[in-house]
Amino acid sequence: MGMSLKETLAEFDASRKRPPEVVAIIRRGIDYARESGAAGLRIGERAPDFALPNQRGEMVRLSDRLSRGPVVLNFYRGVW
Amino acid sequence: MAISPELPDNTLTMAEKHAIPIDILSDAMSEVMKKYRLWFAVPGEVKELYLQKFGLNLEKYNGAGRWELPVPATYVLDRGGIVRAGEADPDYTVRMEPAEIVAAIRKIAEKRSM
Repeated sequence: MGMSLKETLAEFDASRKRPPEVVAIIRRGIDYARESGAAGLRIGERAPDFALPNQRGEMVRLSDRLSRGPVVLNFYRGVW
Repeated sequence: MAISPELPDNTLTMAEKHAIPIDILSDAMSEVMKKYRLWFAVPGEVKELYLQKFGLNLEKYNGAGRWELPVPATYVLDRGGIVRAGEADPDYTVRMEPAEIVAAIRKIAEKRSM
């Protein structure tokens, strides 16, 4: 068994030498997002349906995918 | 499937960079992030930090005027679209453990076979 994702991320984070003032701004940004009420869906809630284009420009509808089986949805910030 | 606020050019880059075989969706109008209550506007001092210190201009990735992001989140949905497991944390260094995702999918599959 390799490291868990949590361990891998913690190790990476510790290896980054960021000045305290930079860390402070990032922390305040995280607090801001938390206080903005962006808490996401609750367990047991129905995920709203949507249709969005994928990387090849094809429209993908959640309900179509669900008709084929369970779906894992991941929201990420960007390729950067 | 994965979703980001980025324009389709950048979701293609994401797919190619990491050789990701799944759908990477472009929420270029932020409608899905908002529906899922994950949307937030990047505060001014973080915007300045990204621009000045990290050389990161979100408009280049998301389009003009779009200093906005989702709280990073993962949801495991059963066939009925019900959230059976998930995690959303504004601290982007906290992510759902892949083993937990797999366990949640297994649990859904077991329920169906019963």
